[in-house]
Amino acid sequence: MKLQVTQENLNSALMSVAKVASSRSTLPILSNILLKTKGTRLSVAATNLDIAITHYIGSKVSEEGSITIPARLMQEFVSSLPSGVIDIELDDTKLHITTPQYTSTINGAPADDFPVMPAITSGKSLELPGPIFKKALQQVIFAASGDDSRPVLTGVYIYTQNNSLYAVATDSYRLAEEVMGTHKEEITLLIPATALAELLRLIGDDDSKIKVTYDDQQASFSVDDTELVTRLIDGKYPDYQKLIPKDFAIVATVNRNEMINITKVSSLFARSSSGSIKLEINEEDQLLSIHSIASQLGENTSSSAAKIKGSGSITINSRYLLDALHALGGDDVEFCCNGKLEPALIKDPSNKNYTHIIMPLKS
Amino acid sequence: MPATVHKFLSLRLKQTYTSKILFVVVENCQLLVLLWVGHLEGKLKNNELWQAVLGEIELSVSRASYVTWFKNTSLLKQSDELLVVGVSNVFIKQQFEHKFNDLVVGILKKNGVESKKIEYKICAITKSAEDNNETGASETYPASQESYTQSSGSITHDYRKGLNERYTFDNFVVGSGNEMAYAACRAVVENLGVKYNPLYLYGGVGIGKTHLIQAVGNAVIGTNSNARVVYISSDQFVKEFVAALRYKKSGDFADFYRAADVLIIDDVQFFAGKEKIQEEFFHTYNALHQANHQIIISSDKPPRDIPTLEERLRSRFIGGMTIDMQNPDFETRCAIVQTKAQTHGIDLPSDVTEFLATNIQTNIRELEGALNQLLAFCEMRELSPDLEIATGLLGSIKRPKHLTAKQVIERTARHYQVALDDILGPKRDKDIVVPRQVAMYILRSELHLSFPKIAKELGRKDHTTAIHSVDKIQKASALDSDIREAITNIRDRLYV
Repeated sequence: MKLQVTQENLNSALMSVAKVASSRSTLPILSNILLKTKGTRLSVAATNLDIAITHYIGSKVSEEGSITIPARLMQEFVSSLPSGVIDIELDDTKLHITTPQYTSTINGAPADDFPVMPAITSGKSLELPGPIFKKALQQVIFAASGDDSRPVLTGVYIYTQNNSLYAVATDSYRLAEEVMGTHKEEITLLIPATALAELLRLIGDDDSKIKVTYDDQQASFSVDDTELVTRLIDGKYPDYQKLIPKDFAIVATVNRNEMINITKVSSLFARSSSGSIKLEINEEDQLLSIHSIASQLGENTSSSAAKIKGSGSITINSRYLLDALHALGGDDVEFCCNGKLEPALIKDPSNKNYTHIIMPLKS
Repeated sequence: MPATVHKFLSLRLKQTYTSKILFVVVENCQLLVLLWVGHLEGKLKNNELWQAVLGEIELSVSRASYVTWFKNTSLLKQSDELLVVGVSNVFIKQQFEHKFNDLVVGILKKNGVESKKIEYKICAITKSAEDNNETGASETYPASQESYTQSSGSITHDYRKGLNERYTFDNFVVGSGNEMAYAACRAVVENLGVKYNPLYLYGGVGIGKTHLIQAVGNAVIGTNSNARVVYISSDQFVKEFVAALRYKKSGDFADFYRAADVLIIDDVQFFAGKEKIQEEFFHTYNALHQANHQIIISSDKPPRDIPTLEERLRSRFIGGMTIDMQNPDFETRCAIVQTKAQTHGIDLPSDVTEFLATNIQTNIRELEGALNQLLAFCEMRELSPDLEIATGLLGSIKRPKHLTAKQVIERTARHYQVALDDILGPKRDKDIVVPRQVAMYILRSELHLSFPKIAKELGRKDHTTAIHSVDKIQKASALDSDIREAITNIRDRLYV
């Protein structure tokens, strides 16, 4: 293997790939990345056996070949090189990397020992507009559960219903749903949230398209020159729609920044009670106030003027409320609930596409 | 089918060869069973075949590679044309198809299996389908399974099953060693899930941990009869978990515990070293804690002293309210004896009470046993208990008190793992001074030696050193749990 690449290209490839290579795996070779020439391009790949990322960069290949080398060392080394052309040459399992200023040799392991990168040979495919998909993911992904005991909830559910494309995540305490627009073909995909978190890093802000190819066990996402393959979660997603209340007796419309502020302040006093804060909504005074008690330290009441219909109170987790408020864009938020026992719904009055519900805590 | 045939068949089928019955002929009232032992006879069953293959692969590849690729695989189907191997994910499937196929084919061949084609299939639970049929799902389906299914229906009754109604706050005797724990438990009942969550009680054997935590459960049910209270000892938790795994009910298991309002786990130290249980408990813990449900844990050691307890569990235990329960003092022991005697309807003379409380110092269960022995003896002979009977009867349980100062110092040195010569010598490093002072304290409190004698035993010239040391440790033991534990520990071992 002998080739020339630019530092910028190689560095960006390593940045998108190296994080997947984990040093904690039982299989030592998984902490390596795979370098492989493919025509005039160099592919840089890594996997943790849950997801695999491959990044292609343009290069001047004078001799074909492949090798695996320690990911961390390679990434740290390349990122500290000055920009410009890098010469790479493989001698048995030693990779020589040369720039005018630096020469180094990194010991690698044969590419044959590296796991086979999965490829989807036959499957359906679709294209998603990057910015919309990215925004949808950012708004729902944090609601997915990190608890492996219910695997279904560790995923983000992407599906179509009545020609609309939805993305949903829930950990059974809160739920976020985003309508991504219309889509004719029927899709149901349950994708691990950890894989999508990696994918989020890969999607740029420009108007790129994301090509999704999937069969019933795996899905691959292509963004520009990067491809991410993940397994899909097997299982039936809960019928969550019946959880979302249709009508609300209590609706408060508040300025979003104001709401974030008062929630943050009251959450300071909610640390010892694992984030439990009590929202009181008063129609008479047109006031939304949040009350929290730290049994040892003291207590707090923060309020904000709001446009309110109906009075009542509900106890919820402040962290979930903050997450939801941050995920919502827009100037105002609408906080809707039906008293202590039913889930509360938070939305942006100017955006019908995003729904967020939070289960109340027992007070 | 006639019983004999049935028996015969089941005998055959129990053997490791797969048999197929072609027909059963009844001839001259004699049963003739023709077994058509299929072409599979002589071949190993799926499960065993695959175990043999894995065994061989394990020898030929590295440990890490075996664990990563082969461990969770199984043989799903075997016929002449097709072999289906179940793997757990797509990466492993690819690896098998591209890299290990030759290896697998080679080893299968060695075991006398030549299939035209091997297929790899992803299946979530890599348990061969046939396995399920053969273990016979009906054989000993656990009785506990009932409790899982009931959890969705009439919940309340079942949830309180572990609690013993005998343990209440009313019949708990509060003394200096346990008043903190008692107050905390009371507070927990009043502010369920909010205050002191989790509550972690620890202390030696028989000083009332179980009594207190069960009292919490009973009190919670007393105030709200619909509360879902689960009391379970940790080894019972382990047993149920294993049963749930075995009968594939782990979902129900998790749901049952995660739906509890109050989860009380007794003797949690038995989780030590059981990784899978710790993981399951960790998730249960998180789910409950997240939802502000109360968790109460008891153990014989503080969290940081339980060996092989996972760090994340340890930190969670420490994160709540950790209270140690000390041995009851003399007055508390007297009160306990009196309370217990009164429940039997007997008024014990105070000298008998004091005799019992003096002679049995650490374990309340032992104290109760001695009392029961005394009461039973008196009841049978229709006597009323007095000191003479008590001394005659229980003289044997009195502890040997022929301790020497040397034994105390040696025991202390061993506890702190310092050399005896160092303690007796002139060194004044902190790690030597503390054990020396503790030894002095114990000499004073247990052997009631005079200060000059204590100083002499430890090679000190001046008896004021001893006075200062005893005083210092006495004060420190009120504040410093390390010292308190050390003293209890050393004292316990002195009398063994």
